[in-house]
Amino acid sequence: MLRLLALILMLQAFVVGAAHARETYLELVVTRPYLEMHTGPGRGFPVFYVVGRGETLTVLYSRTDWYRVRAPRGEEGWVRRDDLASTTLASGEPAPIPPYPDFSAHRWEIGAGYGVYNRENLVTAYLDFGFTDALDAELVVQQALGTLDNRNIVTIGLRNTVVPEWKWFSPTIGIGTGYQKISDKVPPAPLESSNELAYASVGARGFITRRFMWRFDWRAYVVFNQLNKSEVLEEWKFGLAVFF
Amino acid sequence: MEIRLSSVLLAALLLSGCGWFHRGDRGPTPIPAEEPQAEPSIIDPQVTRRVVKTPKIKAKDFELGAYFGALSIEDFGTNPIYGARAAYHVTEDIFLEAFLARSKAGTSSLEETFPDISVVSTSGRQFTYYDLDVGYNVLPGEIFLGRGRAFNSALYVTVGLGDVKFAEKDQFALNFGIGERLLITDWLAAHLDVRDHVFESDLFGVTKNVHNIEATVGLTVFY
Repeated sequence: MLRLLALILMLQAFVVGAAHARETYLELVVTRPYLEMHTGPGRGFPVFYVVGRGETLTVLYSRTDWYRVRAPRGEEGWVRRDDLASTTLASGEPAPIPPYPDFSAHRWEIGAGYGVYNRENLVTAYLDFGFTDALDAELVVQQALGTLDNRNIVTIGLRNTVVPEWKWFSPTIGIGTGYQKISDKVPPAPLESSNELAYASVGARGFITRRFMWRFDWRAYVVFNQLNKSEVLEEWKFGLAVFF
Repeated sequence: MEIRLSSVLLAALLLSGCGWFHRGDRGPTPIPAEEPQAEPSIIDPQVTRRVVKTPKIKAKDFELGAYFGALSIEDFGTNPIYGARAAYHVTEDIFLEAFLARSKAGTSSLEETFPDISVVSTSGRQFTYYDLDVGYNVLPGEIFLGRGRAFNSALYVTVGLGDVKFAEKDQFALNFGIGERLLITDWLAAHLDVRDHVFESDLFGVTKNVHNIEATVGLTVFY
C-alpha cells in the first residue's frame, strides 16, 4: 500500500514536473534605463507600460519582429525586437534573440508566383533547399491554365546561384527534369496526355526585406514525346518567397 | 674553416639525432624537483557543471482558419461559400496567404427564363478555387468597445492569383480583396473579407471577364 502511494506520489511529481517544464519561458533582465511595452505588435501601437532597469521580463512568444512579454507585475504587451535584443540573461550574457537567417546562406525557401508557360497563364509554387550557398535543389509544382488546355507540371532540378553574395540582384542558372499532364479544354484532344520533360533555366533572385525575397526564372523545356518531332516549350515566371 | 663548419654541422646532426632517439623514450619521466607547495586545498570541488538550457522563444507567425459567406457568381446568382485559409506573416506589414474554397452556382437568368436550356451541367455548377495571395496591412490599429476594451485590428488589402474551377473548366483567375482582421485575443482573430475573383468566361457565347465577388466572415488562430 505504502509502495503504491509512493509510486503515485512519484508519478504525480513527474507529471507536475513535466507540466512545469513545458511552461518554461525565457526570462530576460532589462539593462537599459527602461523598456517600452506596446499594446500591439506594430510600430504605431501606443506604449502603455514601461519596465525599469534591473526588472525581469518573461518572453512568451514572437510575431514577426515583435515579442509578447510579461512584466514582473503581470502586465502583458509587445516589445520591439531591437529593444529586446538590448536585454540580458540573468547571467549577464546577451539575450538569445535568434538572428535573421543570412540571405546569402539560407537553407530553405518557399514561394509562389505568376508566369507564362507555352503562352498559357501559369500559377507556380516551389520549395527549395540549399546544399551550399550556391547550389540548391528545387521542387516546383505549377498549373498552366490556357484557353485550349490545362497542364499540371511538376519538376525537380538543381540551381546554381552564380554569386550568392550579391544581395539585391544575383543571377542563377539551372537544369532539371519533370513531368506534365495535359487535360484538354477544347477539342480536339491533345495527341499525348502526359510527357516527361527536361529543362535548362536562367534567372535571378534578390532580397526584399527580413525573410522576404523575389525570384525570376526563364526556362526552355524539351518535351519527350512519341510523335517523332522535337518539341520545345518556353516559360518565364516571377515569384515572391520566404526563406528560413 | 671548412673543418670547423663541418664539425658544427656534425654536432647539430648528432644533437638532433639524440632528440630523435629521445622521442621514442617511454621510460618513467623524471620527477621534477619538488617545489615548496602552496597550501593544500581542503575542498576539492567535484561539482559537474550544470548545463543551463535557455528556453527558446516560440514564433507565432502562422495563421490558420476557416471562413464562410456569400459568393456572387456572375450570371448565376449569389450562393453560400465556405473555405479554409492559411497565412504566414513575414513582417508586421506583409503576409502571404493561401485560400481554398467551394461554392455551388444557382441557375442563370437565361436558364430561368427558358427552363429547357442548361448552360452548365449539374456537376459543373460546383465552383471551387484556390488562391495564392500577398497581403499588406494598410491600416493597423485598435478598435474600442466601450471604455475598458480595446482590440488590435488591421485593415488589409490582398492581391493574388489562382485557379477557379467552374463549369468543369479550370480557369486562371486573379483576385483582389480588402479585409479587416480583429484580434479577439492575441491568438484568435475574426476576419471580414470582400474579394473579387476575375476570370475569362465564354459560357454565354462571348468571351468576357466575369467578376465573382464574395463577402465572408472567418475565424483564424495564430500559432
